[in-house]
Amino acid sequence: MIDQETYKQFKVVGKVLTDHRYNTSHSGNISMRAGGKILIKRRGAMLGFLEPEDIIETDLYKADSGIMLSSTETDVHRQIYLNTDAMAVIHAHNPFCVILSLIEDEITCLDAEGIYAYRKIPIIEVDNPAGPTDAAREVPKVLKDYPIVVVRAHGVFAKGNTLLDALQNVTGAEQSAMFRYYTMLIGKPLKRDYSKEKFFSEW
Amino acid sequence: MPYGMNSTILKINLNSEKIVENNLNDEIFHKYLGGRGLGIKLFSDSVPKNINPLSKENILIFSIGPLTGSVTPTSGRFSLVTKSPLTDTIFHSNSGGFWGPYFKKCGYDSLFITGKLSSENKGYLLIEDYDKVEIKDAENLWGLKTSETLEKIQKVEGKNCQVLCIGPAGENLVKISSIMNQANRAFGRGGVGAVMGSKNLKAIVVKSGNKKFEGKNKERLKKLRINAIDKIKVVPITSQGLTLFGTAALVKVINQFGMFPINNFQSAYTEPNKIDLVSGEHLRERFLEGNEGCYNCIIRCGRMTNTGEKSGKGPEYESLWALGPLTGIFDLKTITHANYSCNEYGLDTISTGSTIACGMELQQQGLLNEHSLKFGNNDMLCDLIEKIALKKEFGADLAEGSLRLSKKYKGESYSMQVKGMEIPAYDPRGAFGHALNYAVSSRGACHLTGFLVALEVLGVPKKIDRFSVRGKSDLLFLKQNQSAVEDSLVVCKFVGYALGFEFQARFLSTILDKKISITDLITIGERIYTLERLFNVREGFSRKDDTLPKRFLETPLQKGPSNGRVVPLEDLLNEYYEVRNWDKNGIPTDELLEKLSLEKLT
Repeated sequence: MIDQETYKQFKVVGKVLTDHRYNTSHSGNISMRAGGKILIKRRGAMLGFLEPEDIIETDLYKADSGIMLSSTETDVHRQIYLNTDAMAVIHAHNPFCVILSLIEDEITCLDAEGIYAYRKIPIIEVDNPAGPTDAAREVPKVLKDYPIVVVRAHGVFAKGNTLLDALQNVTGAEQSAMFRYYTMLIGKPLKRDYSKEKFFSEW
Repeated sequence: MPYGMNSTILKINLNSEKIVENNLNDEIFHKYLGGRGLGIKLFSDSVPKNINPLSKENILIFSIGPLTGSVTPTSGRFSLVTKSPLTDTIFHSNSGGFWGPYFKKCGYDSLFITGKLSSENKGYLLIEDYDKVEIKDAENLWGLKTSETLEKIQKVEGKNCQVLCIGPAGENLVKISSIMNQANRAFGRGGVGAVMGSKNLKAIVVKSGNKKFEGKNKERLKKLRINAIDKIKVVPITSQGLTLFGTAALVKVINQFGMFPINNFQSAYTEPNKIDLVSGEHLRERFLEGNEGCYNCIIRCGRMTNTGEKSGKGPEYESLWALGPLTGIFDLKTITHANYSCNEYGLDTISTGSTIACGMELQQQGLLNEHSLKFGNNDMLCDLIEKIALKKEFGADLAEGSLRLSKKYKGESYSMQVKGMEIPAYDPRGAFGHALNYAVSSRGACHLTGFLVALEVLGVPKKIDRFSVRGKSDLLFLKQNQSAVEDSLVVCKFVGYALGFEFQARFLSTILDKKISITDLITIGERIYTLERLFNVREGFSRKDDTLPKRFLETPLQKGPSNGRVVPLEDLLNEYYEVRNWDKNGIPTDELLEKLSLEKLT
């Protein structure tokens, strides 16, 4: 059984993601590394209403029978842990990130916080956007160098030192995507485009 | 004739050795599909009231369905219907492998076996193709174990044949015997091997016939299949869990929820280091040589194992549990050997393990005088299995199943069964919907007829509260009806973890070239389930039989995540009868029969 402190973190992060409408009632998954294991949300559980038995333990290095209960995207999380410095991972369906992924090849940040934290948010494309196999191969490659990546037509994978750190990346990227989206919608030229000055597209 | 079916029944009367082919009315197909539904309809139309299941009046009906042998993933399955000598209820079972698709290609939908061969004239049935059917002498096969039988038959008939056979347990009319499929898969539960044994029929051999099934919508089927395979590959249960660890992937999962029965259901949870000894991971590390799948299956959950001393197939989750922790045994090698032994003798692993566990508790309570029968005693297990199959010494008592055993030794409460059939590997105190299914299932305690563990534990399609009562009956109603349809199409239940029921409806509609909705299918499932109930009602079953052993109603679990729970069965049952439109005594109402175009059986 999971300890109270860890459960509390999962519960808070799950609730924030749901309250921000980054996910449907049951989608999205969050995980953290813990003592050579992965603690991850149970498949079919509601992210916004997690209970202690909704946090499943599975092996860090290889699939084990925890896969019978754990999130569909467990393999993506595992590969992120094995190939990057991630200590926690969040997968969410951020609406503005997903919308921009349908029409752009990267999200260049226009706002100060986005400029400070991300500069640009990469977008990748896989053949089966809903399937974990391609994502497990491609997402870690990008997360080696970036805190967050968008899988076209699907959602984001963000890493962090802790779940709350990863949450900051998910919410921050979504805010930058929102600013960019509305700016594009207005259609007027930018008074000053910081991204061009700092060559963010080459970041 | 509906696409995907042959509209022909092969009828064999063993009394006269008469073989005839009868046309199948299309209306039966539209109301019952194939497989279990077809078998249930043919059986209940043909069998008089209260026959002895081991008499020549009993019938064995093997049926394929419209999806059997098709491009639909996991379509290698076929069904059996008969009357069970263990439960005295109508009984259905199904099996995978390749026999079903082979039989379908011979041009038949059902094999309907009645009567009995004389004891001087034991035989096996050979189906080579349409109208090429004969009964052959089996004198030299009688007494052989299942792998020996398979080998001998293949020597005569060639390697390219599929063999259903019984082992010594079926020959000796053991009430917990199975019919084995290629010697390692089973038509398990209910003592169906004894029914075949009572007919002096050792085997049913089929060679792949020449009939081709060219549907109208080949391209559409191809696309549907691509979509289905994509989904199977996405879902971890079907793409990894079952493939890597077989059904034994459930060992740690079910224990984690405090539902893994140990020592004849005296507890349902053990410490992580102990459960590791019998986990799917451990089985994979120690004994797995490879995995295998049935016809058209990419999940491939079958285990090919080698212990260093012996090799064979399995054990699967239920077998591993019943022959292991249920009897207090956690030695994986002993369990694996016991499983091989059950396959060789043709014994149902769940009922065998559970009956032995019942014997152990009777001994523990001082009601028996069999000192080797002790929880955790590895040494006696394989020896005892042989004694059960041969009905030798105390094995003869165990061969009757746990209910009859416990009655004989005045300890009925130690038999963990419903309607005479032993309860599978999920403690009902840990999942109330699943508990209800055990109580009401038409074939006795069964996990397959309405697997609510999928929702209550595995969260498929979504997690529900495993201890809630309200609404569980509605979900069970739906699951049982879906299950009846899956058994009638016939497809494997595991594919349901990845493909919603809408996939079955789409595959069927495409093959039939006729729109069949999910709602249509659920109604068919309800009709099948209700007809099974009508049969059982005619045989004298009612509410009094829809129950669970006292232990689950009165004795709370003492340890683990289901600690303190007992099953609130009466509340669940009242709601269930309402949902099913059965009266308070569990009898389907006239209104329901009218809705489903059914009549009471006389």
